[in-house]
Amino acid sequence: MRLPCPYCGDRDAQEFSYRGDAGPRRPEGEDGLFDYVYLRDNPAGPIRELWYHANGCRNWIVVTRDTRTHEVHGSSLARESGA
Amino acid sequence: MAEHLIHSEQEGWALATVMARRAVGPAAVGAALELELRDEPVAVSNGAIRAIGTGPGAWLVIDTEPDHGFADALQDRLEGLASVSDQSSGYAVFRLSGAGARTALQRGAAIDFHPDVFAPGSVATTAIAHIGAIVWQVDDSPTYDVAVFRSLSGSFRHWLEETAAAL
Ligand SMILES: [Zn+2]
Repeated sequence: MRLPCPYCGDRDAQEFSYRGDAGPRRPEGEDGLFDYVYLRDNPAGPIRELWYHANGCRNWIVVTRDTRTHEVHGSSLARESGA
Repeated sequence: MAEHLIHSEQEGWALATVMARRAVGPAAVGAALELELRDEPVAVSNGAIRAIGTGPGAWLVIDTEPDHGFADALQDRLEGLASVSDQSSGYAVFRLSGAGARTALQRGAAIDFHPDVFAPGSVATTAIAHIGAIVWQVDDSPTYDVAVFRSLSGSFRHWLEETAAAL
């Protein structure tokens, strides 16, 4: 699988570390912390996910990927997409 | 005879990483260095120093004929704009040239070095033979420079020699 890095261009997925769903937000207090750390949806379809381009520009990026087809719909720098 | 690969290690270069501070754009950093910087993986030069784009707001800045205190002088020029870290002893830079240079790189990295998509001035930060590397094309003969962490330069040289022998 190749992932589109907004800075580097298309790169082999092995250059990246996978972090998972870009959606969850850390809660302010302890309420909701268990859900934030452990609970994830398992959607069939497009999902926004965090990847770290470790063997490249060393930036976190958000990639939108369809879990049914692995089709990639685009990416952005995490710092610019509020992830 | 097989395709020819010439490789040598650059000596005496001064290198420093420059990372823009939050909300400081490439134009402001470039103005302080008299370079036309963009947030793209390209190499630009003003005749005295060159900047290799390694990420958004990040460059490897090189002086091939440095005065003493290169990184300190950079830091003075970039006060408040960017952080500077002297990497002169951190990176080793190898120069690859000859008819086999492109083929050799292609055997180590999983990116395309075809001249349609990678030309003089193009830069890629990637892995070559699993070794983190910054590659930029110097001219279209073709000549490439490859910066690797110096502690891995022995491994990289070994890969170069093995690859050259098999071209
Ligand atoms: Zn990248």
